[in-house]
Amino acid sequence: MAATATLYHAQLTGWERIKEFFNAKFINILALSLFLLLAVFLLFPIFAVLVKSFQGPEGFTLAHYENFFTHAYFFQSLYNTLLLGLINTIICVGVGFCFAYMTTRGPMALRKPLKIVAMIPLIAPPYLFALSLIILFGRVGLITKTFGVNWEIYGFDGVVIAQTLAFIPLAFLMLENNIKSLNPNLEESAYDMGATEGTIIRTITLPLLAPGLLKAALLVFVMTIAEFGNAAVLGGRVPFLAPDTYTMIVGEADFSMGSVLSVMLIMPCIMIFIAHNYLLKGKKFTTIEGKPIASEPRKMSPFVKVPFITVTFLFGFTIFICFAVVILAAFVNILGVRNEFVMRHIMDFRSNMAIWNSIRVSFIAALVGGIIGTLLSYVIVRGKFVGRNLIEMISLSGFALPGTVIGVGYLIAFASPPMKLTGGIMILALNCVFRFLAVGVEAGITKLHQINIEIEEASWDMGATFFTTFRRIVLPIMFPAFIAGFIYTFMTAMVSLSAIVFLVSPGYELAAVTIFDAAAYGKIGLASATTLKMIMVVILCMIVLNLLTKFTNLDIERKGGAA
Amino acid sequence: MGTNEQPTLILKDIHKSFGKNKVLNGISIEVNKGELVTFVGPSGCGKTTLLRIIGGFTEHDSGEVILDGRSIGHLPPNLRDTRICFQNYALFPHLTVGENLAYGLKVKKWDKKKIRERVDELLTLVQLEGFKDRMIDKMSGGQQQRVAFARALAFSPKVLLLDEPISNLDANLRVLMRDEIRRLQTELSITTVFVTHDQYEAMAISDKIVVLSDGYIQQVGSPIEIYDHPVNEFIASFVGYVNFLPAKIDSIIKETDAAVVSTEYGKLEIDIEQTEFAPGTEVLLVIRPETLKIAPSNGTVTTQNVVQGTLRRYIYSGALAKCHVVLGNDKEVIVDIQDPRDHVPLRENEKVDVTVSRNVHVLKKRA
Ligand SMILES: Nc1ncnc2c1ncn2[C@@H]1O[C@H](COP(=O)(O)OP(=O)(O)O)[C@@H](O)[C@H]1O
Ligand SMILES: [Mg+2]
Repeated sequence: MAATATLYHAQLTGWERIKEFFNAKFINILALSLFLLLAVFLLFPIFAVLVKSFQGPEGFTLAHYENFFTHAYFFQSLYNTLLLGLINTIICVGVGFCFAYMTTRGPMALRKPLKIVAMIPLIAPPYLFALSLIILFGRVGLITKTFGVNWEIYGFDGVVIAQTLAFIPLAFLMLENNIKSLNPNLEESAYDMGATEGTIIRTITLPLLAPGLLKAALLVFVMTIAEFGNAAVLGGRVPFLAPDTYTMIVGEADFSMGSVLSVMLIMPCIMIFIAHNYLLKGKKFTTIEGKPIASEPRKMSPFVKVPFITVTFLFGFTIFICFAVVILAAFVNILGVRNEFVMRHIMDFRSNMAIWNSIRVSFIAALVGGIIGTLLSYVIVRGKFVGRNLIEMISLSGFALPGTVIGVGYLIAFASPPMKLTGGIMILALNCVFRFLAVGVEAGITKLHQINIEIEEASWDMGATFFTTFRRIVLPIMFPAFIAGFIYTFMTAMVSLSAIVFLVSPGYELAAVTIFDAAAYGKIGLASATTLKMIMVVILCMIVLNLLTKFTNLDIERKGGAA
Repeated sequence: MGTNEQPTLILKDIHKSFGKNKVLNGISIEVNKGELVTFVGPSGCGKTTLLRIIGGFTEHDSGEVILDGRSIGHLPPNLRDTRICFQNYALFPHLTVGENLAYGLKVKKWDKKKIRERVDELLTLVQLEGFKDRMIDKMSGGQQQRVAFARALAFSPKVLLLDEPISNLDANLRVLMRDEIRRLQTELSITTVFVTHDQYEAMAISDKIVVLSDGYIQQVGSPIEIYDHPVNEFIASFVGYVNFLPAKIDSIIKETDAAVVSTEYGKLEIDIEQTEFAPGTEVLLVIRPETLKIAPSNGTVTTQNVVQGTLRRYIYSGALAKCHVVLGNDKEVIVDIQDPRDHVPLRENEKVDVTVSRNVHVLKKRA
C-alpha cells in the first residue's frame, strides 16, 4: 500500500500538484482574495476621497480646507448637519425607548401592534417621510391647504421630522434587543422593595440600558447625518453636508470641494466608531445566570403609562398617516388639486423601468454580496491568520460609512482605466455589495459559531479534501446565512439612494433616484407610485425570506433526522 | 403572644394556569409567625410561580392570599410587606454592595444617616463588613448570595420569600449557607417561605415541609412526619431510599397495638398505631434501609421478624455500607450498615438474615 502511495505521488501531474496546493492553502488564498476585494472596493474609494481633498494643481495643498473653513456657508452646513444629528439622536432614542419599553413591559394587547408600527418604516426608503410631509405640509399640502396653516415643511424642522420618523425603527430595534436581554427579576426586585415604576425606570432600567442606549445613539447619529434624501428634498435653502456634496459634484463638478465635504461627513463617523469601541469596552453588566424568564406584564403605573402611550400612539399614528398619504397619492391625479382616481402614476413607463433596473441591480448586488459575506464569515471564524479581526472590522464597518462618501469615492476611484466602472450597471451593484456586507457576515459568523468544527474535521477524517468538505459540508450549512445576507442586501439596495445618486447614468435610472427627482420637482404622484411599488417589492422579498427560512429549516431538520 | 395567634400568611385554594398548563391546582397552606415553611417539589412543579403569586408578580386565577389577616391579592409588589429573593439573586449590577442594600431604604425615603447605619448593620449580619463599596460582579457566588439575603432583610418584611436561594452554590457552600440562613431566620424570627427542589435541604432547614407535585400539595408536615409517616409512595420515596414490601394483615393484636402480617418471604410482627387496618387488608410496608439489620445466615430461621436472602452486592462508602439483598427470586432490598467496620464480616453471594424492625410504616395498598 505504501509503495502505491509513493508511486502515486511521484506520478502527480502539474495540474494535480496545483490542485493539491489549493486544497492545502485554500482558506488563506480565499482570505487574501477577500481582503483584496475589501481593499479595492471599500478602502480605496475612501482613500481616494481623502487624497482628492488634499490635491491641488501642483500636488499637495490645504487650499480646499481653507476654503471650507473660511466660507460661512460651509461652516453653516457642517453645523446644521451636526445639530440635525444631535436632535434626531435624542428624539429617536427617546421615542425608541418608549416603544421598546411598551413592547417588552407594556400591556400584552399593545405589544404586537406597537412593535409592528415601530418597524413599518423599515420596509420603506427613509425619504418616504420627506414625500409624505410634502403631501401633508407642502406648498399645496393637504393640511396646509385645508387648515390654511402658514407653516412650510421645507427647512430645518421638516428635515428633523422626516429623519426622526425614518430612524425610530433603528433605535427601537437596538433598544428592544437590549431590554429583552435584561433580567426582569432586577426590575421586579426594585418593585418588591417598594419602588414605583417611574423610580424603577430611572434607577434600574435606564442605568442598566446605558451601554445599549449609547450604542443606539451613536448609530442613529451616524445614520442621520449621512442620510441624503430627506435633507435634499426638504432642506430647501438650509445647507446640509450630504446634499451639498451632491450639489458640489453633480451640479458644479467641483470634485475637490466635494471631497472636502465628504471628509467632513466621514470624520464624525470615524470619531464615533473609535469612541464607541473605547466607551463600551468592558461596559457590559454581567449577572448571575438564571433561566431566561419572559417578563410577565405588570400593571403599569399611570404616571408611566400615560406619557408612554401618548408618545408611542402619537408617533405610531404619524407613521401610519405618512404611509397612508403616500399610498393615496399614488392613485390620485394631483392630490389636493385634482382629486381623481388615476392609474397613470402606477403605470408610468419610466417608473416601471426604474423599478425593473433597481430589481436587477439589487439582485446582482444581493447575489455577489451574499456569496462574499458567506465566504468572509468563513475565513473570519475558521481562518488562523493574523489580521482576521481587521477583516472583520472592515467588513462590518461598511454600513456605518456615509453612502454619500462612498458614492463620491467610487466616482473618483473608478472613473478612469484600468478600473473604469462608471457609467455601467456593475458600479451600482458593487457599492451596494460592500456597503451592506455587515448583515450577511454577522449571520454567517453566528451560524458558524453554532456548528461544531468537528463536523468539518469528521469529513476530512473520512478522506474528503478541503475543497470537497467546503462544498459538501460547509456551504449547505451556511445556506441560511447566505439567504439572510442576500435578502438584506437586496432590500437595502432597492431603497438605497445616497451613494447611487452619484453613480447612475442615463439608461440605468434606478427607482430611488426616480423618486428623489420626482419629489424634488414636485411630481408627487409619480414619486408616491414609485415608492409604493418599491415597498411592494420589499414586502415580497420579505415573504420569500420567510418561506425560504421555513423551507430550508425543514429541509435541514429532515436531513438531520434521516442521518 | 397568645397561642391562638392567627397565622401570618394564609394561602387559600390558589389556582393558576398558564394557558392550558395548569400549574397550581388549589394550594392552601398556613404559615405561622416566625416559622420557616419549605415548599419542595421537582423542577417545574410551580414553586417559583407560587412565590411570585405571594410576592405579587404573577396574578393567580382564583383563591386568596392573606397576610396578617388582610387579603393582599390585589396589591402590587411595592405595596406588599413581603420580600422576595430571586433564584438568580437579581442584584443590581450597576450598584455597589452598599447601594444594593440601601436601595429599598432610599425608596422609602429614610434619611441618609439611618440608611448608613442600617446598611452597616446588615453587612455585619451577613459577615460582609468591608465589602460595602465593592461592585456586585467582583463578589463570589456565595458572597452575592449573602448580599441578596441581606438586601431582603433590609426592613424586616412580614414574610420573606426565598426561591432556591442556595441552589447556585457548590455543595460545601450550600450546607454552610443553609445553616446560616436557618440561624439568622430563627434569631430574627422572620416568617419565611423557602422553596427548593432538594429534599435534604428541605429536611435540614424547615419547621414545616409542604411537598408539591403536579400542582397539588401531597403532604404537609414536620420533617420527621414527612420522613417517618409519608402518606403515599411518592412522598415515601421522595426523601431518601425506601424498600417497599407488599404484605397482608393476618391478625391484629389489640393489647400491644401490633399486627401480624404475612409477606411472600415470611411472617412479621409489627407495631401498628392506625386502627383502620382490618385483617385481610393488603398493605405496603415502608422500610427505611437504616432500620434493617443484617447478619450471616446459619441456615434456619429461629428469631421473629427475620427473612432470609442472598447478599448480592456490598458497597462500602466509609461511614456507611449498602447491602443489596435479594429476597426470594428477585425482590431486592437495600440494607444500610452504620459504621460498617464494627460489623460482622459479610460475603457477597452468601445467605444472610435480614431483621425487620417492628417499627415500620404501613401504607394502604392502592387499587
Ligand atoms: N410566565 C410564564 N408563562 C407561561 N408559563 C410559565 C410561566 N412561568 C412559569 N410557567 C410554567 O409553569 C410551570 C411551573 O414553573 P415554575 O413555577 O417556574 O416551576 P419551579 O419553580 O417549580 O421549577 C412550568 O411548566 C413553566 O413552564
Ligand atoms: Mg423555580
